[in-house]
Amino acid sequence: MTSKEMAAGSSPAVETHELWKTFGEGETAVHAVQDVSVTIESGEFVALCGPSGSGKTTLVNLIGGLTDPTRGRVLVDGRDVGAMSERQRAQLRLDRIGFVFQAFNLLPVLTALENAEFPLMLRGVSREDRREEVSKLFEHIGLGGLEDRRPGALSGGQQQRVAVARAVLGAPALVLADEPTANLDTQASDALLDVMEVLNRERGVTFIFCTHDPRVMRRARRIIRLVDGHVERDAEKESGDLPSWVLDPVET
Amino acid sequence: MERWLLITRIALRNLRRQLRRSSLTASAMILGIGFLMFVRALEGGAHLMYVETATRMGTGHIAMEHPDYMGSQDLADRIVAADLATARRAVGEVTRDHEVAAIFPQVKVGGLAQSASSSIPVRIAGVDPALERDISFFADKVVEGRYLEPGDRLEAIVGVGVAERLRLEPGSRLVLMAAGAGGELESQLVLVTGLFRTGVPEVDRGVVQLPISTAREWLDLGDDATSMSVILASDDRTGQIAAALRERLAEDGVGAEQVAVRPWWEAMPDLYAGLRADAVQTYVMLVILLGIVALAVVNSILMAVLNRTREFGVMRALGLSRSSIGAMVMVEGVILTLASGLMGMALGLAISMGIFRDGVDISWLFGGDLAFAGAIVDPVISPAVLTVDVVAILSIVMAIGVLATVYPAWHATRIEPAEAMQTDE
Repeated sequence: MTSKEMAAGSSPAVETHELWKTFGEGETAVHAVQDVSVTIESGEFVALCGPSGSGKTTLVNLIGGLTDPTRGRVLVDGRDVGAMSERQRAQLRLDRIGFVFQAFNLLPVLTALENAEFPLMLRGVSREDRREEVSKLFEHIGLGGLEDRRPGALSGGQQQRVAVARAVLGAPALVLADEPTANLDTQASDALLDVMEVLNRERGVTFIFCTHDPRVMRRARRIIRLVDGHVERDAEKESGDLPSWVLDPVET
Repeated sequence: MERWLLITRIALRNLRRQLRRSSLTASAMILGIGFLMFVRALEGGAHLMYVETATRMGTGHIAMEHPDYMGSQDLADRIVAADLATARRAVGEVTRDHEVAAIFPQVKVGGLAQSASSSIPVRIAGVDPALERDISFFADKVVEGRYLEPGDRLEAIVGVGVAERLRLEPGSRLVLMAAGAGGELESQLVLVTGLFRTGVPEVDRGVVQLPISTAREWLDLGDDATSMSVILASDDRTGQIAAALRERLAEDGVGAEQVAVRPWWEAMPDLYAGLRADAVQTYVMLVILLGIVALAVVNSILMAVLNRTREFGVMRALGLSRSSIGAMVMVEGVILTLASGLMGMALGLAISMGIFRDGVDISWLFGGDLAFAGAIVDPVISPAVLTVDVVAILSIVMAIGVLATVYPAWHATRIEPAEAMQTDE
């Protein structure tokens, strides 16, 4: 039984209904997301692909409630994000969503360990439990011994792994990851993707990736291709396959 | 709890991270508050000294006079001996033990002083030489000859200005003329025993002192006097005692139409107005100074917020609420201002009570005339740190901390996570 089937019966992890996001007005208006309606069930492992500027990051930001749609609705766990107050949205992100941002976006005044445990601290997880979870994950993804370093003293790849650790620690219901492997070598990418797959398989965590990386797309079981803010193609696939349509001719 | 620990930890580390900017802001606060503390201590010390010297020059903390005497300066408007005795008794009744440093009658009258060379108008004061040595500064201000002594009868002491204009020196003879109790012009020959220089021009150029017994006899006053002065050990209860005294005198049949009881600020309105003007001036100057300091704090914290737009965006995206973001900036600003404000107060205290413990010489400020609104000024002012100032300055520090941080904190709460994370730092 797949995690998707396990989760069947409850609300989808994410639903978008005729979602639009327009930046600017009049002639200079840019429609970053146009009429996107997708449903992502709990436990899915989805890659959003498409050329640069196709609206992937904007869509992820809309799903995470980081920006308001111009039109349409976003539901996370069946709850309408647009109808929530700021405080409720912050709580939703804290309780249910893990983010991996395009740039690493670690807090420079906190150590690697403190950055990773930041959401857990906000959730009120005890110090012992936090430290145990972080240590285990850090060991697994090759960050063991780097706990007390500030981001400035870490390489790009190490920073990205801390950012991923921050997103997946505490097993949120949904992880939104924007180019999580962009700065990583093959080995580090695989280690991270292994962790994510385990979380997906064993704990039913839903993953949505924005990515250009074929390694990520190979592991995804569903690929949504965006072009100019539209969903051009949305298809399920077997893990390991890489359909030819996912690759942008210019970028390959 | 965890959330507050995290917020405080991030705030403190950000202060340390921007060490140079934090230090510059803190320096502005430390110097501003330190200066404020010192200036207030100096002013407090100066005001205490002005009041002390002015009251001891004869008026006392509380002056009792005939209500019309201040305007008429006429011996007809005097206090009769019986009322003086009643007043003396009443003072004893409304004050506590050791609260009264001295109580004494004076005769003050306007008249003419004539020497062999010329004549000038003067203020003639009949005083008790023994008492005067203890309480007033005149004995210390004698620059030639000697001060009056108990047993003197026809001796007088004059200001250096009087001596100069009448060409007098110790041993010179002088004729004093004034209208006596009966309204007739009376004259009295006296011998100059000494010259004094107080630094107050109107005193040095126009005052002649002689024993009160001689003045009473010469002006036919019996045991009457023009005023009764009360010098208190401390100025703290002057107003209360004056009010109690008025009541008690009225009960004893001496109403306000016979004896007016005036605390020093009513008896010396010029001095009081001068002190108030002085305080207002300092207050205005300090408000401007602290306004500039507050702007520096606003600027520094706002810069710190703007530079961290992206970080605030990330924290918001991770689930920190707007109010927690605002609280983080407030904590940062308040820690910075409170810590530097307290350091500034410590600096002010150290300067006031340490470096300048023995007083600050301000004689350069007054030039040759050591006077403030008619009061003798001791050129060495001892700073006095008053509790009320400490409380007021601490309140100012807190107010700057909160007010200067509100706008940057509000700004930080407005940061939209998606936009913030696209900003470059």
